Amino acid sequence: MLKVLVPTIMLFPTIWLVPAKWLWTSTTTHSLSIALISLAWLKWTSETGWATSGSYLATDPLSTPLLVLTCWLLPLMILASQNHINPEPASRQRLYITLLASLQTFLIMAFGATEIIMFYIMFEATLIPTLIIITRWGNQTERLSAGTYFLFYTLAGSLPLLVALLLLQQSTGTLSMLVIQYAQPMLLDSWGHKIWWAGCLIAFLVKMPLYGVHLWLPKAHVEAPVAGSMVLAAVLLKLGGYGMMRMMVMLDPLSKELIYPFIILALWGIIMTGSICLRQTDLKSLIAYSSVSHMGLVAGGILIQTPWGFSGAIILMIAHGLVSSMLFCLANTAYERTHSRTMILARGLQMIFPLTAAWWFIANLANLALPPLPNLMGELMIITTLFNWSPWTIALTGLGTLITAAYSLYMFLMSQRGPAPSHVLKLPPFHTREHLLMALHLIPVILLVTKPELMWGWCY
Amino acid sequence: MASRLSRIWPTLSRVRLSSALGSRCVSQTPKSSASGAAVTSDLQSLSPAAQDSHGHAEVSPFDKNPDFHGFHHSDPFVDEWNMRLAFFFGISVAIVIGGTFVHYLPDHGMRQWARREAERLIKQREAEGLPLMTENYYDPSTIVLPSSGED
Repeated sequence: MLKVLVPTIMLFPTIWLVPAKWLWTSTTTHSLSIALISLAWLKWTSETGWATSGSYLATDPLSTPLLVLTCWLLPLMILASQNHINPEPASRQRLYITLLASLQTFLIMAFGATEIIMFYIMFEATLIPTLIIITRWGNQTERLSAGTYFLFYTLAGSLPLLVALLLLQQSTGTLSMLVIQYAQPMLLDSWGHKIWWAGCLIAFLVKMPLYGVHLWLPKAHVEAPVAGSMVLAAVLLKLGGYGMMRMMVMLDPLSKELIYPFIILALWGIIMTGSICLRQTDLKSLIAYSSVSHMGLVAGGILIQTPWGFSGAIILMIAHGLVSSMLFCLANTAYERTHSRTMILARGLQMIFPLTAAWWFIANLANLALPPLPNLMGELMIITTLFNWSPWTIALTGLGTLITAAYSLYMFLMSQRGPAPSHVLKLPPFHTREHLLMALHLIPVILLVTKPELMWGWCY
Repeated sequence: MASRLSRIWPTLSRVRLSSALGSRCVSQTPKSSASGAAVTSDLQSLSPAAQDSHGHAEVSPFDKNPDFHGFHHSDPFVDEWNMRLAFFFGISVAIVIGGTFVHYLPDHGMRQWARREAERLIKQREAEGLPLMTENYYDPSTIVLPSSGED
């Protein structure tokens, strides 16, 4: 754990002490080295699950894929931001990368936390750099309302979580995940206990987001600069999923009845947000709503609490993180050239940028869960486990798969195919940096096809 | 005291309200910022202000440096070395060396061993004509049950 945390903290001196012209080079290489070291976490040294490096920081097969994803994403964020931050003065560029690095530190400590209160503190701490990135570096005036929605939706969910955790501490005497998994199942029969159950989960359901409380996500994703969108889509949403998976361990047996409304909301959300995607004119908004759709499936898988549900959720979280981040990067390349997110303004790009059309194509295929990519594996496992829970869910999940394919195809055809309008003909060509960025997103997804057991979690 | 406050409050509220009103009256940001930005890009007259926001001025960086890789706008040396290091650390180190490390990770939980062992046992038992698995996990003769009728 420390072999990754210390280099991550040393990123701060790197950012502030290197000469300005080598800033991006050194931070990119430093964060790629951290990403390499983070792969060492994949060697699970213990058969019991938890590989503890102390009593407060540990990794287990659930947190490890998310930790590696977090560490992999920082260099990608730096690569993606390099162009649009370039005109700013050097100290502001350093501040931007500092915010990304501090997000990284908080996320590593959140996923590695064994004490649930520490996880909660890091969960809240990630809000601050994200809020600053959205409201300071977003491009439109709506960024202020986006930041407000983001902050207050998440806070409104997490204050009940704090109360619930303190109550849990009172009744069990400990909040260490290592210990609490062995605690006696609690007698949970009163209405107060039901509210406590909801309090434990609402914060994570808002973060995921669940369909009814998802309004913050399109605003935050759209108004954030590319690095903000990437980290939001790829990792911060997964904090919600991870938190839910940790909390559900101790919430039985109340969960059997109480999950009904949330699973229905999640499934309905898949259909609704997928349908909204078909009507979007704003490219980033389309990708944001597609994130809500995929996360609805993940939420369904987690709430079911079966081994396949959990495994499918983790696989889909990792795969979606990489693919969604890639789509945001592609949308940003179009935005940096046309200064617009409107889809009809950046269309017919295949004739202008043929190699990028290949990246768009593969990213959209991955988004619609093409076999053998892990997106499909995760979706299939969740759909199967939902079918096992109730055969009627196949109507919603099947329709959701169909709509996902429809809007992914719509996104591809709208941006790449058809005649290119005249203003698009003079757009500057693609940079090596941007091609590298897409490759670094896609290669891990393809490599995960060959070794999926890295993502199966501890239930399989 | 109250009379003083009652004199101050109307001015205060008017100030706040008017500034709020003022901002509401003045703001003409179109509902969809994307369409607002679209208007700018639709016009071919790209004003320097709009261009400068992404740092290109009116000149494409490819004019000064035909080998521009997208990393550093002004210095081609830094741009090239940034590209080389990003590719080296990103692909050669992280993906290739990291991927090799991950490929050769030990068989966690002996799952692959279990699959190979099961296939081996099945092949062996089919060759010997034995059933693939016995019905009883324990040998029934080793189980000692209390005799019925006692209490």
